Amino acid sequence: MGWVNAGNDRDATLQVVPELAERFAALYRSLWTQRRIPPATLELCRLRLAQLHRSDVELQRSDCEIPASQLDNLTRWESDNCFSVAERACLAFTEVYAMDVQALTDEQADAVKTHFGDAGLVLLVEALGIFDGMTRLSLLWRLPATVQRKTLDE
Amino acid sequence: MSGRPRASNRNTPTGNMIRDSALGLVPETLESYLALNRAVWESGPLRSAEIEIARLRNARKVGCVFCKSVRYDIARADGLCEDKVELIQDDYLQSALSEREKLILAFTDQYLNDPGSLNDGLKAALQSTFRPEELVHLSLAVAHFNGFSRCAVALGGMPDELPIMEMSVP
Repeated sequence: MGWVNAGNDRDATLQVVPELAERFAALYRSLWTQRRIPPATLELCRLRLAQLHRSDVELQRSDCEIPASQLDNLTRWESDNCFSVAERACLAFTEVYAMDVQALTDEQADAVKTHFGDAGLVLLVEALGIFDGMTRLSLLWRLPATVQRKTLDE
Repeated sequence: MSGRPRASNRNTPTGNMIRDSALGLVPETLESYLALNRAVWESGPLRSAEIEIARLRNARKVGCVFCKSVRYDIARADGLCEDKVELIQDDYLQSALSEREKLILAFTDQYLNDPGSLNDGLKAALQSTFRPEELVHLSLAVAHFNGFSRCAVALGGMPDELPIMEMSVP
C-alpha cells in the first residue's frame, strides 16, 4: 500500500473522499466512451506518458486493450509501422505535452486536428491532463505495481 | 506558447467559464468535468483558502496566465487575502504562511517537480499534519488544477497578461 492511506491502488486510495472519488470515476469513464478519439489511441498516449514518467503502476494498468506489437514497440512509435499516422500525431503531441506543455507547436496541434478535428484535440488535451495527473499521483503516493496488463493478442 | 487559439468554441455563450471554453466542444466529458470541478471545491475536507493556495501555486509554476489572474470568491471569503497570495513565491519557506500552508505548497511543488522522489521528511510532516482524507483531497485538487492549466496552455490563445479577476467556481 502507499503512505497516504491503506489503499493499495488508485481507486482504493480515493475512497476516503467518496464524493470526489465518484465524480473523478465518472470523468475517467467518460474518456473511454467518448467518440472523438479511439480509446486504443488514448491508451497508447496514456502508456507513453507512463513510460516517460517511469511509472510501473501505470504501465501495468490497462484501460483499453491494445495489440501486443504496439505495446512492445511503443518507445519506437516514430519509426515502427504498427502505428498509424493518426496515432503518431497523438503520440508526438503527448511527448511534448509531457516534457514542456509551453513548447507545443501549432503544427503538432494541427496534425492531431487533421485526423480528429478541434474537438479531438480538446479531448486529447483533457485526457492527457488526467493521465498525467494520475501517473504523478501513483508515483507521489508510492503505490505498488501488482497487476499484469492484458493485450489483444493474449 | 501559441497566441493563436488552437480550438475555439463557437457555441452560444452560457456565462459558465468552463462550458464556454474549448472544453465545451466535447459534451461527452463536459458535465463530468464540471461536476468534478465543483466537488473539488465543495465536497472535500480542506478549506477553500487552502485549496486556492495550491491552485495558485500550480498556476504560477505552469505559467497559465488565466489561472494566475483568477481569484475564487469562496477562497477570499475564507480569508485568502492578496497579502497572503503574495507570499506564494519560491521563498515561501521563509514567509509568514502557517506550517500547514507551507506544507500544501511543498506537496504541490513535489507533485509538479518530481513526484517520484518524495523524501521521508516531507512525507512524515504531511502525515502528521493532514488526515488521510485531506491528503487525498489535496492530491486530487492539485492534479485537477494542473490538468486544467496545462489544458489552457496547450490549447493556445493565452494573452501575455490579465488583471486579477474575482469569480465564482464554475
